[in-house]
Amino acid sequence: MAIAEQKLTSTAPTTSESFQWRSWLATVDHKKIGIIYIISAFVFFIIGGIEAMLMRVQLGTPNNTFLSADLYNQLFTMHATTMVFLVVMPMNVGIGNYVVPLMIGARDMAFPRLNAFSVWLFLGGGFLLYLSFLTGGATNVGWFAYAPLTQTQFSPGQGVDYWILGLGLTGVASIAGALNFIVTVLNMRAPGMTINRMPLFVWMNLVVSFILIFAFPTFTVASIQLLFDRQFGAAFFNPALGGDAVLWQHLFWFFGHPEVYILILPVMGMISEVLPVYSRKPIFGYSFVAFSGVGIGFLGFIVWAHHMFGTGMGPLANGFFAAASMVIAIPTGVKIFNWIATMWGGDVRLTTAMLYAIGFISMFIIGGISGITLASPPIDLQQTDSYYVVAHFHYVLFGGSILGLFAGAFYWFPKMTGRMLNEMLGKVQFWLMLISMNVTFFPMHFLGTEGMPRRIYTYESGMGWEMWNFIETIGTFFLAFSVLLFIYNVLVSLRSGEVASNDPWDAATLEWVVPSPPPSYNFLHIPQVTSRRPLWDAKYPHSTADDHHGEKSAPSQIRYEYSHEDSPGAKEIHMPTLTYMPMVLSSGLTVAALGFIYINQAILGLPMRVASYVFIAIGFVMVFYAIRGWVLDSRRDSPYLGHH
Amino acid sequence: MADHDTAVSHHEEHHEAHGTGFYWQVGGVLAVVTAAEVAAFVYRDLFGHVTFLILLFSLMFAKGIGVVLYFMHLRGDARIFQFVFIVPFTLAVSMVLAFLVLFSHHVGIAG
Amino acid sequence: MSSSAGHTHHGEAHQKPLVGSMGVDSRKLGLWAFIGSETLFFATLILTHLIFYARTTNTLSSVGALELLDPRLGYLAIELTTVLATLLLASSLTMVLALAASKARDWKRFRFWQLATILLGASFVGGQIYEFIHLYHEGLKLAPAYEMHLSHEAYKALSALNIDPSIVRLKEAGEHATALVPSLFGVTFFVMTGFHGLHVTIGIIWLIAIYVKVLRFPESPENPMDIELGGLYWHFVDLVWVAIFTLIYLI
Repeated sequence: MAIAEQKLTSTAPTTSESFQWRSWLATVDHKKIGIIYIISAFVFFIIGGIEAMLMRVQLGTPNNTFLSADLYNQLFTMHATTMVFLVVMPMNVGIGNYVVPLMIGARDMAFPRLNAFSVWLFLGGGFLLYLSFLTGGATNVGWFAYAPLTQTQFSPGQGVDYWILGLGLTGVASIAGALNFIVTVLNMRAPGMTINRMPLFVWMNLVVSFILIFAFPTFTVASIQLLFDRQFGAAFFNPALGGDAVLWQHLFWFFGHPEVYILILPVMGMISEVLPVYSRKPIFGYSFVAFSGVGIGFLGFIVWAHHMFGTGMGPLANGFFAAASMVIAIPTGVKIFNWIATMWGGDVRLTTAMLYAIGFISMFIIGGISGITLASPPIDLQQTDSYYVVAHFHYVLFGGSILGLFAGAFYWFPKMTGRMLNEMLGKVQFWLMLISMNVTFFPMHFLGTEGMPRRIYTYESGMGWEMWNFIETIGTFFLAFSVLLFIYNVLVSLRSGEVASNDPWDAATLEWVVPSPPPSYNFLHIPQVTSRRPLWDAKYPHSTADDHHGEKSAPSQIRYEYSHEDSPGAKEIHMPTLTYMPMVLSSGLTVAALGFIYINQAILGLPMRVASYVFIAIGFVMVFYAIRGWVLDSRRDSPYLGHH
Repeated sequence: MADHDTAVSHHEEHHEAHGTGFYWQVGGVLAVVTAAEVAAFVYRDLFGHVTFLILLFSLMFAKGIGVVLYFMHLRGDARIFQFVFIVPFTLAVSMVLAFLVLFSHHVGIAG
Repeated sequence: MSSSAGHTHHGEAHQKPLVGSMGVDSRKLGLWAFIGSETLFFATLILTHLIFYARTTNTLSSVGALELLDPRLGYLAIELTTVLATLLLASSLTMVLALAASKARDWKRFRFWQLATILLGASFVGGQIYEFIHLYHEGLKLAPAYEMHLSHEAYKALSALNIDPSIVRLKEAGEHATALVPSLFGVTFFVMTGFHGLHVTIGIIWLIAIYVKVLRFPESPENPMDIELGGLYWHFVDLVWVAIFTLIYLI
């Protein structure tokens, strides 16, 4: 079997097919859920980008009056909250949702209904977060919401409460999603796919899912405590009444630091898939890359207070966290060297995805280096809360996560849509994005070193900051244009892009066995896996490039599949039925959460409190109705009862 | 068509449910340990502070182990369940200890 | 609930456990992972309580008032608490007996032990609510200070110490004397035990749902796993109380 012998199936959707609401709102199919995540995350990316552009316009010149101080504060808070929780996380989860079951030879995630619940609850949380702009102002206290600024007397209004409850909902969605990934990756792998034969993207999703379920509970508790401070007269973080503002910081960053590894590790997994395909070589040092991911995940839990070097923890704590933070550069470096070694001596094709992957590596290195300086407490005391930090995290988050996500987008778009993206447009977009990204964010290193603080809505002229700020603002507009180019590419390609075969990139992993896009049941025949690169070994059985080290047990029997819903044998495959219950459950929780925001009569008077109770009651009725329906659905689908 | 998801593995079949008598014994031990904890508390003045703490922690862990290993059947069940519980439990204990140190006199500007 | 997607067998009810590539039931693995996650949830609540309790005791001992005003000794009655702990531990025992009965397919015995578990759990919640109400009347609230009722001797002893009113404010109204102490003990105590109680309540609802379902469909082959899953959650909730009982009430 050779890649050239592939047939083109006719499963690519045409734009003339009518859109069926029910098939999307009641879906439990990981591919549809993945698409919902990806599109929603991209919409939030645009919104977050607009928030950034507004801020950059304000900062482009000194003493600017384009935005008020309060609106500026709302923007930087919501920009960060959006990018972290509503863009990168759901984009990672969306691509993971689509690709991971295919990569492990499964028909779906372990818990399809829970999967649907997660995506709708994420949207509910996002809705609450943005509703706040219309109900008196969004939260304006920074995405890390330091105490005691978040107390009611300093942040009146409901902005912070919307933030707490909105992120509470997305947090539950994330934890449910992570549990789903853990069980799927551990328990749903095709026969023969041992843990040591899993693709690295699957490895990273597993590691990240564990990080997530261990890190999020702390944030959940801390934000519940903050909610109690604001609504019920507790004083966890109110120093004036015996609380501790630094406790918030510790609790937040105990979650917040692992969170940034949640943002980057799946993307590193994507890079570990993209590089080998376009180098026509296996990943160099598979075990090292896998275990360094585990190492980063573990170390990520013991470095959190490097965000707090300015709070006076003393030499014992400072020393410990500084050392741990520097150590974490080691597994990161291991990955980088393995990626470079993967490309070295390979038959490199510089497709757009490959360019983005190389861009990822270079930009992430820059971000990593600024991270090293930040890890040193004496240096950090100058750099913290300055634009140097803003530069650092934009290099790792934009230069890292976002560029890596574009690599994944160009790589997997054909699989998801059945069309190829335009490569010429893609390359133009890549170079424009790479250059404008550096124009926008590199000067921030200088500004920070020259003393420009973060989170200021304007600055005096004569500080010496004008030139770089102006240049950065110009860079932002070119960056925005590069994103518009991508949107144009997507729209044009969906309509009239080259039709994609099963395996347009000559790749190695199982998702490229099935048609583009795959039928609902994924594989007609669950593959039998005998090596790390099952598809590659089927195509090139005599390939000598090999890092298998005994992982290969037999010749690969895998063949391209060309089945669709009406193929013989396809009808016997029973997938879980459509159900609205996950959506009803998440809507109920959203309604109840909205009511909960206004529960405090002391602030808002009786009619508001009654309304809030009504919302909570309606929400709970929806929740109970949905749980009952969900349980009935599961009985209907239960394999124990031999149904179907 | 490989029906991989209904394969019966050895793990699930090997674990033998204990007889009910065994569970009553574990329950009895837990009751005795609880009584010991309460007794230690009531007569805490008889112990030094450190002894008291060690005693109480040991009794608490004994109860916890009884519940986890035997009632939750972690002993004799698939290894992955042990991993998935023990790792976060260790992280949780470390977190509590780390925070107690971070909010003690050993940490702060003065040293 | 289905533990795998897209199965292809035809028609027979399975008695064997459904396992995947790790050799385990998917829902059981998911539940254990969730339990692991919840361990950190409660650890955070517990550590917050311990940090603020240490602050309170440090402040009180620095003015020599710890013995008289320690909120733990003054408010948390060991008798009631021991009863609550015993109820919950007993409910774990009855739960595992219910599971054993279900594996032996003795549904009458299962119903007996499951009902016992539910009643013991409900008694625990009832006892907690009683404790909360009692504490509220004694002056411990979800508020950044507690107001402890003082005996005549205690009032005299405290007055003699001349403590700064911002640390302890003594009040006397006729026969009735109290000490108002700024402290987060009430806040952390109620939030921590309140969330534990909420978890217990959810567990009770879950156990009732299982009870009803098994009552209606006693021969359903998924029953033992359903019961085991509910039981695992229930034991975890008990496990948390094992920690809270010692760390909060005793130490």
